[in-house]
Amino acid sequence: MAALDTATTPAPAPVRGRPHPRRPRAKVLPTAVLLLGALYCLVPVAWVLVASTKSRGELFSTFTFAPGTGLLENLRDLFAYGDGAFPLWAANSLVFAGVGAVLSTLVSTAFGYALAKYDFPGRNAIFYAVLGGVLLPGITLAIPQYLLMTKIGLAGTYWSVLLPSIISPFGIYLSRVYAGAAVPDETMEAARIDGAGEWRTFTAIGLPMLLPGMVTVFMLQFVGIWNNFLLPFVMLSDERHYPLTVGLYTLLAKGSGEPALYSLAIVGAAVSIVPLIALLLLLQRFWRVDLVSGGLKG
Amino acid sequence: MRTRTTAVLAACALALSLGACSSGDEPAAADGPITLDYWAWGTAQDGMVEAWNASHPDVQVRKTDAGGSTDSSAKLLTATRAGDAPDVAVVQYDTLPAMIVGGVALDISEHTDGVAEEFTDGVWSQVEFDGAVYGIPQDVGPQAMVYNEQRFAELGISVPTTWEEFRTAAEQVRAKDPESTLATFAPGEFGAFAAMAQQAGSQWWTVDGDTWTVDIDDETSREVAAYWEDLVDRGVIDAEPLLTPEWNAKLAAGKVLSWPSALWANGVINGVVPEQAGQWALAPFPQWEPGNSAVSFQGGSAVVVTTSSEHPEEAAEFAKWINTSPEGSAAQISAGQYPASLSGQELTLQSEPPVQSPQQEDYWEVAQRIAGETVPEVSWGPNVNVANSAFQDAFNEAVTEGTSFTDALAATQEAVVADMEKSGFTVDAG
Amino acid sequence: MATARPVAAAAPVRRRRSLAPYLFMSPGLVLFVAFLLVPMCYALWLSLRGFRVSGPGPFGVREETFVGLDNYVAAVTSRDFLEGFGRLAVYGLIAVPLTLGLALLFALLLDATTTRAKRFSRTAIFVPYAVPGVIASLLWGFLYLPTTSPFSDVTQALGLGTIPFLSGTSLYGSVANIAIWGGVGFNMIIIYTSLRGIPVEIQEAARIDGASELQVALRVKVPLVVPALVLTGLFALIGTLQVYGEPTTLQPMTTSISQTWVPLMTIYRDAFTRDDLPLAAAASVLLAVGTLVVSVLLLRTTQRRAFGEG
Repeated sequence: MAALDTATTPAPAPVRGRPHPRRPRAKVLPTAVLLLGALYCLVPVAWVLVASTKSRGELFSTFTFAPGTGLLENLRDLFAYGDGAFPLWAANSLVFAGVGAVLSTLVSTAFGYALAKYDFPGRNAIFYAVLGGVLLPGITLAIPQYLLMTKIGLAGTYWSVLLPSIISPFGIYLSRVYAGAAVPDETMEAARIDGAGEWRTFTAIGLPMLLPGMVTVFMLQFVGIWNNFLLPFVMLSDERHYPLTVGLYTLLAKGSGEPALYSLAIVGAAVSIVPLIALLLLLQRFWRVDLVSGGLKG
Repeated sequence: MRTRTTAVLAACALALSLGACSSGDEPAAADGPITLDYWAWGTAQDGMVEAWNASHPDVQVRKTDAGGSTDSSAKLLTATRAGDAPDVAVVQYDTLPAMIVGGVALDISEHTDGVAEEFTDGVWSQVEFDGAVYGIPQDVGPQAMVYNEQRFAELGISVPTTWEEFRTAAEQVRAKDPESTLATFAPGEFGAFAAMAQQAGSQWWTVDGDTWTVDIDDETSREVAAYWEDLVDRGVIDAEPLLTPEWNAKLAAGKVLSWPSALWANGVINGVVPEQAGQWALAPFPQWEPGNSAVSFQGGSAVVVTTSSEHPEEAAEFAKWINTSPEGSAAQISAGQYPASLSGQELTLQSEPPVQSPQQEDYWEVAQRIAGETVPEVSWGPNVNVANSAFQDAFNEAVTEGTSFTDALAATQEAVVADMEKSGFTVDAG
Repeated sequence: MATARPVAAAAPVRRRRSLAPYLFMSPGLVLFVAFLLVPMCYALWLSLRGFRVSGPGPFGVREETFVGLDNYVAAVTSRDFLEGFGRLAVYGLIAVPLTLGLALLFALLLDATTTRAKRFSRTAIFVPYAVPGVIASLLWGFLYLPTTSPFSDVTQALGLGTIPFLSGTSLYGSVANIAIWGGVGFNMIIIYTSLRGIPVEIQEAARIDGASELQVALRVKVPLVVPALVLTGLFALIGTLQVYGEPTTLQPMTTSISQTWVPLMTIYRDAFTRDDLPLAAAASVLLAVGTLVVSVLLLRTTQRRAFGEG
């Protein structure tokens, strides 16, 4: 998308004898509105970054946007908390989101490819079942999922969060849309005539063509799992298995005998969103979000 | 279409069969040390567990922080149903009946001979029901008031000993500094209100044979509600949730002058405003009748052995040891918790005052005096969790809408009775 | 519903290799059945059960029994649950149009030829997408509370007092704002990429006809991105029905949010605080069915083909 920005500058076209400027003059109002939107989105992020520099005393007693003096101490406290619980949570989040998103992308891609490129009995039924899955509220599933996980002895383990994260009806839907548009039947047919089996056709012909779509599904799933709160909150009871969202939540919601650890939670929030924002910015040029709406162009 | 129907049916059949066969079997450890899982919260736990592990190499305990009381008890219920609960868990006294009904807590009376003598009758009655013992008391929260000594002196307020004096003091504070409040009425604090009603003599739940009586909106409780409603209505004290960033900021600015709560409050204040160490002191709880000294409990918890435990005997031994041994009590006191055991309370007298109140040399003496005057018996019903959430919503609404506190109390009573009847209890509604 | 192309070209292939698509789908199908279908059926089964106390002693023993449709009756007659839908409607009427409206506005501004600072703005508006909902709610909570709010600092300095973000009617706006903040960026990108797909010639033709940039946006661009708007609208609607995290995180900070403020909060309370899983399961089933019905209605009334074919 970043590349698209500069790629499509309209060719200069004369309008009523007056030379049309190559790039129309900037207008103040629209630009101001856009910048206002940017400001709106950045204020809370700026706030958490500033607040993370404040010591516990300063947090509640100094002007909100005045930087404090406690950043290093906060970071030290954060990383020392609970024998290094925070780095562990970060690692857990990375494992859940990283492994979960990779597996989810592979599963969704194969699923979507089959739905888009083959006609077989039950295809529509399966597709509509998947669409129905997109609409289910997570919380309605979390409780029965937990009860079932305990029946098979997985509740409280990494698997109990990882396995349900792999199945993403939305990822399957996107993969189907993308596979339908990106892999021409003729190419597949040609591969088959050359003697390639279905598996070989998929890995050698399909996958390379599906790559941009896969990056998008990966990113959506990564962010989705990283930000997920309810599933790990319900499934996990061992602090050492928590991802960041649940860990930070428990910092805020400690029991009656313990004060709310706001300053730790705030510096934790700041530390945990910075890498994700960096990752998004880094990967955003590779994403194809248009495929989200691609299925609707008809 | 047919394929889908078949698949759904097959899946449902699978679900049903899974639902039918519930099994919580974990392979029992053959040789080597036994490991007990322990769910707990609060700063005092690590020290107690470490002390146990150091002296009991054969039975090692692994502590998990499952969140505070509400989160932890909710998880215990679900985990028990799933056969996945830990061996031992901390449970707040008011939640214990719900844990008994929910099948979480195990009757450990066969392992507790003579343990009752370690505690006062009032404390022991929190864990013993009809001869069955469901836990070992860990800490107690006799009602007490912590106050900002320095701000009291600045505004020339004397420490109230009765609720009448408290009302006058609240008016004085408002008059002298309109931005400050003597205390905060927190509409969400079910435990605090219940304790104040109990202090005044209410018994919210009583049981006679199998018949329960629920008296949440009895005359005494309504008077307590009316007392606070008057203060809040006239704007004499603030009504808002506690320990929010907002409340913490007011505390830091010295605008909240006291917190009538319980003995554990000192440690909580220390967590929020450590820079005010030396400004805060402990005082006995205000009384409804002058000359009285009775207080009830707010909070406090016991350690229960769960029905899921494979090692109930070792688990019960652990629960006894951390709560009655000198090592366990020492770890507890150093973290600022007030022990439930008599020996532990004795031990506090040799301890330094807690960090938030280094100037108050008689801190632990005051604490012991308060703890010695608790009302003999407090009984909690089987659905305190329902009462708690109904109370929160009703009182939040009353504060927000400016409606009557006594009506909110009636609404709580109604929700509690309805829930008990639905569950199949025999209830005589007050 | 089959697409025309594969049917014509791949018919013989299909017969020869009929097992292949199932193999490709097998990992997904197994997971789908295990973690979506089975839990759903389990919830259905659970919703017909109930815990009842019986037996001796004051506390008795809780046993699970079949209670028929009792839980459904209890859910639809529950004041808490129904009022939650009322509040949800108010919240949705603020959150959905504003999320979509702002996303469309920013997308159009990004696409317009007369604006500057585009790359910065696009990135900035997209940043909240990377902030987990729990953390976003906490951040906004601090920005709302009078003593910690920089906005209230400003109004107080002007002698206007503090802003009551978390009470009265502004509460709805404050909760909705968190969802809007988190959702605008993602929706903006979807609409923006849709806009980039509009051929330049169409826009140029309109400009040559004397249309202003505003007219081009409203008359040419907006009609062409309606499909993207339908999709983002659907997401926003589903998101609204599933609102849970924002009010739950704000709840301890204010007296104005009850534990049953929106339907999902009631479900959570029944399941975990009140330990009435069967009632929660029944309410979940109702909510899931409701979501399905609303989504289908939305798609039917706007664009039938939106979800059908790729």
